Amino acid sequence: MIKETIVGARSLLTGMKVTFLNAFKKPVTSQYPRERIEMSAAYRNVIVLVEKDDVGSHDCIDCGMCERVCPSFCIKVEGERPEGMKRKRATRFEVDFALCSECGLCLDVCPTDTLGYSREFDQAGYGRNDFLYDLLVPYREREETVRNTLRTAEAEAAAAKKTAAAAKAAAKKAATETADNGDETPTGDGDDS
Amino acid sequence: MMDFPQIFGGHWPAVLAATVAIMGFITVNALALIWLERKVSARIQRRYGPTEVGPFGLLQTLMDVVKLVGKELITPDHVHKTLYLIAPVLVFAPLMALLSLIPIDEGWLFHDYDIALVLLLAFSSLNIIGIFAAGWGSNNKYALLGAVRAVAQNISYEIPLLLAVIPIVIMTRSLSLYEIASAQASYPFILVQPLAAIIYFIAGTAETNRAPFDIPEAESELVAGFHTEYSGMRFGVFFLAEFTHMVIICSVATILFLGGWNGPVLPGWLWFFLKVYSLILVMMWFRWTFPRLRFDQLMSLAWMILVPLALVNLLATTVLIKLL
Amino acid sequence: MADTIELVPDASDPETYFLNMGPQHPSTHGVLRIRLHLEGERILSADPIIGYGHRAHEKMAENRDYLQFLPNSSRIDYLSGMIYNLAYCQAIEHALELEVPERAQIIRIICGELNRISSHLLWLGTFVLDLGGFTPFLYAFDDREKILDILDSITGSRLTYCYGRFGGVTMDVDDVFLRRTADFCDYFKTRLNEYHELVTDNVIYQHRTRNVGVISTELIQDYALSGPVLRAAGVAQDVRKDEPYGGYERFDFDVPVGDRGGDCFDRHTVRMEEMVQSMRIIEQALACIPDGPIMAPKVPKRIRPRAGDYYFAVESARGHFGIFITSDGSDVPVRNKLRTPSFVNVSTMPVVLPGTMLADTVAVLGSIDIVVPEIDR
Repeated sequence: MIKETIVGARSLLTGMKVTFLNAFKKPVTSQYPRERIEMSAAYRNVIVLVEKDDVGSHDCIDCGMCERVCPSFCIKVEGERPEGMKRKRATRFEVDFALCSECGLCLDVCPTDTLGYSREFDQAGYGRNDFLYDLLVPYREREETVRNTLRTAEAEAAAAKKTAAAAKAAAKKAATETADNGDETPTGDGDDS
Repeated sequence: MMDFPQIFGGHWPAVLAATVAIMGFITVNALALIWLERKVSARIQRRYGPTEVGPFGLLQTLMDVVKLVGKELITPDHVHKTLYLIAPVLVFAPLMALLSLIPIDEGWLFHDYDIALVLLLAFSSLNIIGIFAAGWGSNNKYALLGAVRAVAQNISYEIPLLLAVIPIVIMTRSLSLYEIASAQASYPFILVQPLAAIIYFIAGTAETNRAPFDIPEAESELVAGFHTEYSGMRFGVFFLAEFTHMVIICSVATILFLGGWNGPVLPGWLWFFLKVYSLILVMMWFRWTFPRLRFDQLMSLAWMILVPLALVNLLATTVLIKLL
Repeated sequence: MADTIELVPDASDPETYFLNMGPQHPSTHGVLRIRLHLEGERILSADPIIGYGHRAHEKMAENRDYLQFLPNSSRIDYLSGMIYNLAYCQAIEHALELEVPERAQIIRIICGELNRISSHLLWLGTFVLDLGGFTPFLYAFDDREKILDILDSITGSRLTYCYGRFGGVTMDVDDVFLRRTADFCDYFKTRLNEYHELVTDNVIYQHRTRNVGVISTELIQDYALSGPVLRAAGVAQDVRKDEPYGGYERFDFDVPVGDRGGDCFDRHTVRMEEMVQSMRIIEQALACIPDGPIMAPKVPKRIRPRAGDYYFAVESARGHFGIFITSDGSDVPVRNKLRTPSFVNVSTMPVVLPGTMLADTVAVLGSIDIVVPEIDR
């Protein structure tokens, strides 16, 4: 009985020592908003359309994969095929972030990797409708220029492919005709300026 | 001894001045203690505590009081009106009276009662009536449970409190706080009565319903115990009463065991306050370190450990006094 | 159950009264309601009433295809979110008979065990908070922050991870992650000593938890208990040892059991020891993590398990978590039943609580470690 009391009292004093020592360590609070913790690189946040270098704008081709995979059914994409282009371009990309659970499944399935996470975490609004974001807003102004660029690039690529195919056919023909000739007549590049 | 009636020109002006002084002390003390508690608890928990309002958050309590005063005083519908309204007063008033008994320095007290100690112990019991009135009058099962526990706890811990104080009385042959403190000019009584000091301190913590004895206000079990139904300034009064009671218990501990105002170099009243506030710091340290005792364990601690120890201590003291 | 339990004893007895530990209560760990019938401080009967947190996860599973259910899986028990998420992935992999590469398996084990440690830390903090000790709660949360930051760096989220995919994991771990995990294990070993000094050895804590809320081996024969509750009663059952999954068979770890008959203190020691064993697994995993792909090479584009029933179980922080899927060969499951451990563990309340005091209700409820959203799903 006496031993129990002494052991018990000693345990209380040990506990007091622990709290005492901890009281003199630096507090672990980071005093927001003066000190901010760094967001991790992989942080899952609201999604944005990322600018792709080879396009100069977003690269959403309205495939609808993100809309289909979203568990919260919060993405709405619409697109059109501009005149003279093979690729589609998105004309409407709305996400309702009141429903989005930021799971990242849409990023996984996007075939052009044009979806990414935003770094702005402090979204706030006054009502449900404040969270209907139009992700094409940063890209609308330059859409026409981008389409022109893409059109030209596509035309160039098509022409290049054509000349390459023609050259290949010509080379094949030359190879069969002059079978004993070692060297081949170099053909010109299909380089129109 | 300060002659108050002479200084203030008459008996009743003196009484008025004393009341104002005590009320002022209670308010300032409560403000300071609440800030101290928040800071101490924060640092123990590796956080900052109040930092924004005023330098080091010193004005935080004042602003909290302003907020409390501005709250609507809601009286729930089915309470027992008289009991509900009078309970905060009953809890708070005896403590105000007790503060007038405490001597701070040589000659600094309102009146030297020669039975001050008895008065102290008697008045401390009065606030139990207030707690029970609060619990019963609230017409709420949680509050009633909290009040019932508080009453049983306070009554049980008065016995060890009393038994721990009696050896000091025997040693000094006086019940007056002033004389007991004066008798410790050469050495504090804690050196000769360590067990009594520990028992007194534990029983005193239980009297004020502080952790680890805070069953009556057990936040995680009964929401808020006996003051569940109180909001606004009424709740503030309970809070004030708790901190004032803490100061009283620690002041009496200082006077009985730590030598009151005696000490080298510094002026007496400074020593007194330093000692009192160190003891209060220790009480706060207890609160933030230990979990709560269950109710029956609390009672068995009082009756099965503290009371026998205090009796043994008392017996040993009387025997030694007789022999020496 | 052998006898029916008298849930509403003589209500006309003036000595007794009903008390509602209502849906809103500081220590019911969620929206659980327990209807108590008390006499003074003694409990005569206890009746848990669930359903306040029902979110229809199983119904949602019937309206979404298998990939779309992934975010839901973390939210069932948000404290073991990683374990549940990976369990669901493994359940579908089991149904599709998909092989997961070794690197992905080891990564999953490391993340799962880190999650287990963080769940037990939260349990420790909230349990001592319920008993009245306010400080260990904040210490535990500080340590938990470190784990959450480590997991945040690869998964991108702190609580509701959507890290696993069918066939592997989303993002690869780098050396920074491995080093941070190793540093955390070193730090936490010394930190556990502090917890033992502050909590386990504390005489008040021991008095509050010893011989309180005994869930003995007789009781577990009537209820399908699992997890630390079961192990505290003395039965050494752990899904990771009995039916190893996902690579656990190659790791060496012990299954701690209680030795005092299954009281609250036993459950405490079992959980503290489980944290030590989790660290042991993590260290072994860090030492043997191979290079390689993190995703299976041929994952079907459309997840369509063959028609039939599939069951897969893992050991979560609370016990045996099982996923039962009935598929009819289409994209959407017919039934996705979740066997959650808290649902079973809380059903022992009407048997364990009567005879104890009101303060013990809080202790027993806390020591069983329930997460109410898992009960209601």
